[in-house]
Amino acid sequence: MAETIAGYSLSLKSGEQVLVLASVPALPLVREFYAAALGAGALPFLRTFNPELDEVLYRHGNDEQLRFVPASDRLDIETCAARLAIRGDENLATLAGADPARLAIGRKARKPLMDIFMERKGRGELKSCLTQYPTNASAQEAGMSLAAYADFVFAACFVDQPDPIAAWKRLSAEQQRYVDFLNKVKTLRVEGPGTDLTLSVEGRRWVNSDGKANFPSGEVFTGPVEDSAEGRITFDVPTLFTGHPVEGIELEFRGGRAVKASAARGNDMLQSALDTDERSRYLGEFAFGLNYGITRPTRNILFDEKIGGSIHTAIGAGYPETGSTNRSGIHWDMIKDMKQGRVLADGMSVYENGRFIV
Amino acid sequence: MADARVEKLAKVLVHYSLHIKKGDWVRIEGSAVAQDLIRAAFIEVLKAGGNPMTRLGLPRLGHDFYTLASPAQLKFIAPTASLETDQLDASLSIWAGWNSKEFSGIDPKKMAVSQAANKELFDRYLKRIASGSLKWCGTLFPNYSSAQDAEMSLSEYEDFVYRAGNLDKRDPVAEWQKVSRAQAKLVRFLGILKTIRIVGPDTDLAFNVAGRKWINCDGHENFPDGEVFTGPVENSAEGRIRYSFPAVHGGREVENVRLTFKNGKVVEAKADKGQDYLNAMLDSDAGARFVGELAFGTNYSIKRFTKNTLFDEKIGGTMHIAVGASLPESGGRNKSSLHWDMVCDTRKGFTVYGDGKPIMKDGKHSRF
Repeated sequence: MAETIAGYSLSLKSGEQVLVLASVPALPLVREFYAAALGAGALPFLRTFNPELDEVLYRHGNDEQLRFVPASDRLDIETCAARLAIRGDENLATLAGADPARLAIGRKARKPLMDIFMERKGRGELKSCLTQYPTNASAQEAGMSLAAYADFVFAACFVDQPDPIAAWKRLSAEQQRYVDFLNKVKTLRVEGPGTDLTLSVEGRRWVNSDGKANFPSGEVFTGPVEDSAEGRITFDVPTLFTGHPVEGIELEFRGGRAVKASAARGNDMLQSALDTDERSRYLGEFAFGLNYGITRPTRNILFDEKIGGSIHTAIGAGYPETGSTNRSGIHWDMIKDMKQGRVLADGMSVYENGRFIV
Repeated sequence: MADARVEKLAKVLVHYSLHIKKGDWVRIEGSAVAQDLIRAAFIEVLKAGGNPMTRLGLPRLGHDFYTLASPAQLKFIAPTASLETDQLDASLSIWAGWNSKEFSGIDPKKMAVSQAANKELFDRYLKRIASGSLKWCGTLFPNYSSAQDAEMSLSEYEDFVYRAGNLDKRDPVAEWQKVSRAQAKLVRFLGILKTIRIVGPDTDLAFNVAGRKWINCDGHENFPDGEVFTGPVENSAEGRIRYSFPAVHGGREVENVRLTFKNGKVVEAKADKGQDYLNAMLDSDAGARFVGELAFGTNYSIKRFTKNTLFDEKIGGTMHIAVGASLPESGGRNKSSLHWDMVCDTRKGFTVYGDGKPIMKDGKHSRF
């Protein structure tokens, strides 16, 4: 896994400074990655995520303390050539009880760093990758033993295959074919149980997400034309929004806007999310999940949105690189299993029962 | 840095719950996650003049065992386990693990083979506890896995656990003695009733409890504690109930359980999630569709549902009804390999009647 991230996702070169951000339980993977990065001649250095300390900070810190960002954090993000973030928690609910208003103060204080990160990424100066180390906490969230969950993660990352990098290159080439095809498409129509949704993607760019920025990945996505969504869609994969489970979502769109919405579980959360701001009822993303190594939901969006044979749409902010102009404070991916559905492109069936047929 | 409450908890467990005396042979079992409490209890037992012994669980060994064991290995009973069951004076079980879903992928049949092989030993264990010759207490040490299930940080969860055990009070033992006296009054009041009827949303369920004994659970066999229970007359349950809390069992959550009873037996069982598991459990043997326990949760320091029966069944103002085995001390006679406590949130919109008169409304008792 470490070698694939170093060699493929980040394609590390000699002399590159590599910032590794990891939580303490992920140290075994950090160690492997450190060796792989050194082997490539790169200059790896470690900073740790400390959710347990964040919890203490958000409980006891005054506003000034919440706003404090060490100057070295800025220097790290200004100078590194690559950044690997490794998630691996001991308790996914560590910040569940923290005051959202206080969390927002901390997020706001770190926003300039986030902006530098996004700008440097946009200019191609900074390569970044996000991955997951299998821990008991994530296994428990997925309803799995640690052994079964570790197998799940390795299969999703193709590192159970003899040559993982070759497998990722194959996926990338296949996804590029779909991207090239979809870039010429004007309208998409999604059909399935409880679903008949039409979107315009005319003039928008499709992005090939092939295991570099996210590891694992395996999706192609775009930002649909903001006022184009018409019809309804049901999402059957459970999702988490700010840590709260929401299931059985149904949305109905008119002129791009979600005019009707309901959820079998977590309906209050859905309604308040949709009312976040002006544009939170509009779609910011439409995507096909194409990682067929991921066969089940695990309540972790890094994996769930890439389930092979699924699609997802996000309400709220779109990615500028797709041409999306939707701006919002939220980005909520909602996932639909397409094993019983199809997608029409400009009237022609191009995707049936969870697979592209073009 | 040690949490002073751990030492305080160990003192309550050793002196109040288990009442360890000089010369007692005491087994302390738990996983390595609970090492701080295991050590504190070990020290306290030594100070009390007892002879402590530890049985430690390590991460993933349970999963490895069920994955690799042959039928013969599943059925193996260590001679030492049998000896301990017959000769221990006291046993402290400390619950704490790494992953509450560790066994979710294990074939339930394999676990059943091991359970069946251990049944005779387990019965002997329960019989010694019931007769008073073996003192037993089950407790929980706060850990990441349970905190995550409860949707809390570890420090919030520690506060929750220790508050539920009155360890935030200056003298926890005095608090538990107070609880015990108050519950004794409730037990006396309930003891003269013939029928209990629970009425609320999608619920109207009646039981005959005449001649059965109500038991005062005051921190001896479970810690924390706070409930009074009985075993209703086996063929008496009549009506229906809907559980708004998920029914938690075997690392699974079954949601929105609705049960209909006729002549004491579950004749219809529905759930929004986990229907197959619910059916399988209710069909496990002849006694699994009958009620073994009817109880009131009386610990008002526990307010939140945390997906852990040790705490959930004691939430003050709730009731729980277990399908399966009854506990013989209550006079209940139902036999089953199942004992599934399902907690009903009777704190809102529910009235409970005793012999036709309201005895609890929206979780508030008339006599407690």
